Amino acid sequence: MNPRLKNLYKEVILMHNAKPFHFQKMENEEGMIEANNPLCGDRFQFFLQEENGRITAAHFHGFGCAISKASASILTQKLEGKTRLEAQSLCAGFLGFIEGENREAISDQEIEAFAAVDEFPARKDCAILGWKAINDYLSK
Amino acid sequence: MTLPQNIKSHFPIFTHHPGLLYFDNAATTQRPQVVIEAIEKFYKEENANIHRGVYPLSARASQAYERVRAQVANFIGAANSKDVAFTSGTTDSINRVASGYLKKQLEEGDNIIISALAHHANLIPWQMLAEEKKAELRVISVDAQGNVDLNELLKKLDRRSRLLAITSISNSIGTLNPVAEMIDLAHRKGVPVLVDGAQSTGLYPLNVRTLGADFYTFSAHKMFGPFGVGVLYVRPRYQDQIKPIHFGGGMIKRVQFSKTEFLDFPKNQEAGTPNVAGVIGLGAAISFCEKLDQVQCAKHLKSLAAYAKEAFASIDGLHLVGQPKDYGGIVSFTMDQVHPHDLAQFLGEEGIAVRAGHHCTQPLLESMGLAATTRASFSIYNSTAEIDQMLEALKAIKKFWE
Ligand SMILES: Cc1ncc(COP(=O)(O)O)c(C=O)c1O
Repeated sequence: MNPRLKNLYKEVILMHNAKPFHFQKMENEEGMIEANNPLCGDRFQFFLQEENGRITAAHFHGFGCAISKASASILTQKLEGKTRLEAQSLCAGFLGFIEGENREAISDQEIEAFAAVDEFPARKDCAILGWKAINDYLSK
Repeated sequence: MTLPQNIKSHFPIFTHHPGLLYFDNAATTQRPQVVIEAIEKFYKEENANIHRGVYPLSARASQAYERVRAQVANFIGAANSKDVAFTSGTTDSINRVASGYLKKQLEEGDNIIISALAHHANLIPWQMLAEEKKAELRVISVDAQGNVDLNELLKKLDRRSRLLAITSISNSIGTLNPVAEMIDLAHRKGVPVLVDGAQSTGLYPLNVRTLGADFYTFSAHKMFGPFGVGVLYVRPRYQDQIKPIHFGGGMIKRVQFSKTEFLDFPKNQEAGTPNVAGVIGLGAAISFCEKLDQVQCAKHLKSLAAYAKEAFASIDGLHLVGQPKDYGGIVSFTMDQVHPHDLAQFLGEEGIAVRAGHHCTQPLLESMGLAATTRASFSIYNSTAEIDQMLEALKAIKKFWE
């Protein structure tokens, strides 16, 4: 595999793609958050359980490429246990990171793994698919 | 005549990207040198607006523009250059038929028939219109292989059918439709037919009159011409029923503050300054196609697709999407464990240009239980040797993702 691809499809990303966190359809239809990319048809559903303003459990399901699936998996994992406010700042931080902002401020290997989308601008939408949907949901 | 041996050398893109395997021809083809030159020559030596100036440059530009209209008419088998309007592309042409023609014909309870293979451009305009007029959009389904069922078409046609809109070749799974038979069935019920010829025009034999198409649409950029130009052919008997949807200069007989009289078709479709250089480029693209033998081209594309299908299907876990009886140079597939986008990204890094996604046929793929496929679409400059290269790349990708 060429170095550019290796850089995009990092070990963490491949791992999350192969074994996504809490990848499971849930019952609570009303609490479902849809993330969908009309350009390619990729689509995920997120299911958040909230108690007293805290996300106690997060699951996701759906269909997407390795980049979008891994990023959704990482997102789901990070959401659990966070307050709404913390979750919102997490999402805003990731979205900013993908746009190239405050790179130095982030020291999280799983988030940094997505830096290579700089070289593949068409894949930015894949990286942010879930994050953007959750961010929109939380800002409502 | 068979395909010219050195066909690839006519396309400068391959000089600039010697290793490029360009398999995204259904999205847009590459341009031959003669087309690029014709456009450049127009801007450098012949540029002027048309139908405006009386000075020689403008008069010559107007003549050149009208010569292409005659050339298009001749190439597609229309009787008269007056049967051909220039548009910005297939999408534009179809929207003109929907809003300029069918909107006036359609009443509550009427129906419009399309096939499940339709590109979004040949679906949404009808869906919008049906919704607005409380008419019904009827969809002829396809079988598991991707063939349309003519019996179903026959059942769906009735007294209230106002248009059948079909596609010559599915851009998504390659099905080559029995367009002539479908038109014949519709005409027996007195229903006019629009043919979306975007994927076939240029490389397949075509005569709109023997075919019987009432409306025929295509885009220059899918047949070696420039972006931003397309054609709408309208059969003479419908020409006074297709009204303009854009208004402005160049399309009028007489304008008063209280009312306007419009020119007849096709001029009433060409409001404002048209893409003159684009039309000149389309003319050059047609001249290029006229030197090809369309029967040979069609054979070449089908044999490339057949070769690719057999080669790709030999990979364990690779599934062809659609196995239609008759097909063009388009092969769609999925690979277990690998999302189409990731697959296309890996191929892209190997210099292999393919498309991943729903190919603007989302309902079709959904009906097949899919959200996306990887698609290789061929043109005259592609070869079986290139397909062999792609096969090797696919094998390597499969290995990586296992
Ligand atoms: C079958 C078919 N119809 C319509 C279109 C739309 O053509 P354009 O985008 O040039 O208007 C396409 C192009 O993707 C197509 O393949």
